[in-house]
Amino acid sequence: MPAGLTAPAPVRFNAGYGGLGMPALETFLQAIVNGLVLGSFYALIALGYTMIFGVIKLLNFAHGDVYMVGAFVGFGALSLVSGVVGAGWTGLFIAILISMVAVGFLGVIIQRVAYQPMLSAPRLSILITALAVSLVLQNGALSLTHGKYTAFRTDLGFGGFEFGRLFISHQAMVLVATAAVLMIALEFFVSRTMYGRAMRAVSIDKDMCRLMGINVNRVVAITFLIGSALAAAAGTMAGAYYGSIWYFMGFLIGLKAFTAAVIGGIGSITGAMLGGLILGMLESFGTQIPWIGSEWKDVFTFAILILVLVFKPTGLLGKSEVERM
Amino acid sequence: MKNGMTALASAVALGLGLSGAVQAQSDRILIGVQVPTTGSEATYGQDMYNAAELAAEELNAEGGVLGMDIELINGDSACDPQQSVNAAGNLVSRGVQGIVGGYCSGATMPTLKVYGDEGLPFVITASNSTQLIPANPGNAFMINSTGADQSKKAVDFFESQGVERLAIIDQGDSYSQDLADLTADRWESMGHEVVRETVNKGEQDFSAVVSNVRSNDVDAVFWTAYYADGGLLIRQLRQGGYRDTIAVGDGSNSPQLFEIAGGAAEGVYAFSNPTAEFLPAAASFIENYRAEYDQDPGPYAPLNYDGLKLLAWAMEKAGTTDPAAVVEALGTADGESWLTGPISFTDENTLARSNFIILEGEDGAWTYFEN
Repeated sequence: MPAGLTAPAPVRFNAGYGGLGMPALETFLQAIVNGLVLGSFYALIALGYTMIFGVIKLLNFAHGDVYMVGAFVGFGALSLVSGVVGAGWTGLFIAILISMVAVGFLGVIIQRVAYQPMLSAPRLSILITALAVSLVLQNGALSLTHGKYTAFRTDLGFGGFEFGRLFISHQAMVLVATAAVLMIALEFFVSRTMYGRAMRAVSIDKDMCRLMGINVNRVVAITFLIGSALAAAAGTMAGAYYGSIWYFMGFLIGLKAFTAAVIGGIGSITGAMLGGLILGMLESFGTQIPWIGSEWKDVFTFAILILVLVFKPTGLLGKSEVERM
Repeated sequence: MKNGMTALASAVALGLGLSGAVQAQSDRILIGVQVPTTGSEATYGQDMYNAAELAAEELNAEGGVLGMDIELINGDSACDPQQSVNAAGNLVSRGVQGIVGGYCSGATMPTLKVYGDEGLPFVITASNSTQLIPANPGNAFMINSTGADQSKKAVDFFESQGVERLAIIDQGDSYSQDLADLTADRWESMGHEVVRETVNKGEQDFSAVVSNVRSNDVDAVFWTAYYADGGLLIRQLRQGGYRDTIAVGDGSNSPQLFEIAGGAAEGVYAFSNPTAEFLPAAASFIENYRAEYDQDPGPYAPLNYDGLKLLAWAMEKAGTTDPAAVVEALGTADGESWLTGPISFTDENTLARSNFIILEGEDGAWTYFEN
């Protein structure tokens, strides 16, 4: 028994498989908690997909790898600051901030170097460029880490609130709260500030914006900065929460966040947040269905993606627009 | 009978043919050590060879076997079936009276026939695939536990901990699934309950598994796959408020589990092959090994050390180096205590009693757990 985890006298319920009987309510609430944690990660990454799609109509498939780089930068930052402030919450928040700034600028560099020259090229070319950027980031991390798992050590502890069988760890609560704060801040930025307005305008009509004197390039750069910073925050938090990071960690979660963005309606910021939460909840509840089991989790996710694409291609909050390929 | 005759005939032929060339002095016993000292597994192989050398030196210092010194010949198998057959042929032609070793099961497999045709005693020290069992002509003896033994050990352990409902979690690959299947069958056949879960490789979020474990009220969790994801799972189980027993299979008993799981790995149990540092009887072995080779013995060194000592013991017991008599003597091994535990054999010449040991996570490292 680990220190500090002295077990209370176990309370036995008439537990059945799949949470039938007494623990059904607790199983339900636990699934909500799990869904919120997953959903927070998905939403933070989905925001980047959706914002970038909004301004330059690019499905930035390198975004999952930006999340991975964010985790590694956060890890490096935490190692640096932990000597001074420790590896507790303070250290982690400083690491998140450093990672957000550093990876935010990495996002801008990626946009300037890889995407900017391609903006007038056919849509497919820039999509392939995105895949190339993804490979560069992934293989760069692979060669630096030799494909090994890196342990992300923190002193956050394993404490939490316990209500019967329902358990909410402090880490999960802080994580969800941090994600919520970031999303509220983003919402405020987009709806109330000058650059937010410009961003919305650029997503509607770039050429018109240019004619109106809006510095479109700067708006696009800011979009990449914010999107990448959010992914970096998610990556660092995921590293601290799950405890290990590796070069391939962004692949699956990138695809899922993309799914979340599509569910919410790609291009819509509120849609990305909503899509992330919905996907997190669906996964969390889907795996509680007795005959589905956790190994079917990904099948479940992508089946939903297909259903959404078939029945509501614009997503929940997306608006249909004239295709201008 | 025919085989016996052939073996006898060839042994005589070898004895006659080579006595002039190689075996000029009859005051020594030649023993082949078949381990991969080159190739991908060279580290483990060299380590096993060192252990056999150490055992031979000790025996010789005590007056040798049957009054003769033991001399080792390196038969490098390179963990490659082709190379190992050549090496085995070479050992036979140089007139060895017995063989110890066998690391990669695939490379050990084809040598069974080579040694079997000569009827030479072969102590297989590390290879433990169950496929070796039907291929054994009767002259080979396996002193490492097979995969089935791990599930036996696991079931015994969970029983002793008073576990009733056991969650077994694998990763869908053949190794972890086999171990999970074997354990689940055995556990259910004893009238207990099993909850099975499979996680996807590369997945970081195990919250679904954790809540299934918690909502099913299991008494213990058994992770049968490897340490990288095992570390994540253990961490999330503890983070998710699960406080009962956690045990992991031998794919997860790496020290790196502690790096990933951090404090959550404290109190976790692991099943392991008999590694020197955890064997109560191996303290002087480790000391001698370090003194001789200036490094720590690796995971299979004790087994190879035991292999040579066991072969020497059988020769002493038979009173001769005649292969048939030594093979017979090996079969009578009756639980004498060795470095890796007592050795006796089943009808199939496999280790009768599992040599798996249990480790417990303590202060960020594995320690021996007395069950």
